[in-house]
Amino acid sequence: MLMCRDLAGIASDYTDGELGTRQKLSVKMHLMMCKDCRSFIGNLRASTNLMRAHSSGKTDPELIRRIDERVAQALNANRKTDD
Amino acid sequence: MEPATSETDEDVLIDGLKAGNEAEFQQAVRLYTPGMLAVARYYLDHASAEDVVQDCWVSVIDAIHKFEGRSGLNTWLHRIVANRCKNKLRSNKKEVVTDFSETLDPELANRFNESGRWGVPPKLQFHDAADALMENGALSDCLDKHLSALPETQRSAIMLYEAHQHKSDDVCNILDVSASNLRVLLHRGRQRIFLMVETFQETGEC
Repeated sequence: MLMCRDLAGIASDYTDGELGTRQKLSVKMHLMMCKDCRSFIGNLRASTNLMRAHSSGKTDPELIRRIDERVAQALNANRKTDD
Repeated sequence: MEPATSETDEDVLIDGLKAGNEAEFQQAVRLYTPGMLAVARYYLDHASAEDVVQDCWVSVIDAIHKFEGRSGLNTWLHRIVANRCKNKLRSNKKEVVTDFSETLDPELANRFNESGRWGVPPKLQFHDAADALMENGALSDCLDKHLSALPETQRSAIMLYEAHQHKSDDVCNILDVSASNLRVLLHRGRQRIFLMVETFQETGEC
């Protein structure tokens, strides 16, 4: 029988639809009977959505400036060679 | 800012890059550098990762002419970064070591009793939608702090899969991990974030 600890170990596979039919059924049956695991799965889903909503684009502006500068220099060097 | 999703936008961008237009390079640098850094940080320390990403952008000026569009620009750039990092590691003879043997976070594993049932069950249900939660600046800062504290392997897998929305196959390819190991990395990372939000909601502390 699937215990709460086992379910917690495969919870992401369940939420991402990566489990086989038999395991998925065991998880569903467990969830029908266990409020704590329902809460855990709900919170894990919320955590995943939270990370997705969290901006991934926060990069050091100084690094972006350095890259712009190096790219501009290399593009200029290319243009001079072409001329 | 998300990488260009519309095919047309990406085509226009690629044409600009192939033409050597500085404006398109600046646009692409802003769109794709965060994801490229996530890949590089999987392999290298912070400073070396930044160096590799800078070098990659310079190499893209020539390499873009060989880009045939078989994958998206995002995936293509991430593969260039991963290959450079792997070469750098080979020359430094360093290994990326990861333990994939345990799917449960140790802190979470301690919350089960000997019979395998919850000893300390989840304390709260996150009721608010993710977007509403992110409007809480303190929680957003806390999430930043915890994401940067994650082991690089977990962080990179999460950044590529969750934040940059790569398919599992692409993430496995870019990070050189098996599909089952990627599942472990994602699950371990999500558990850390679950534990963080739980503490934050309960105590208001990060």
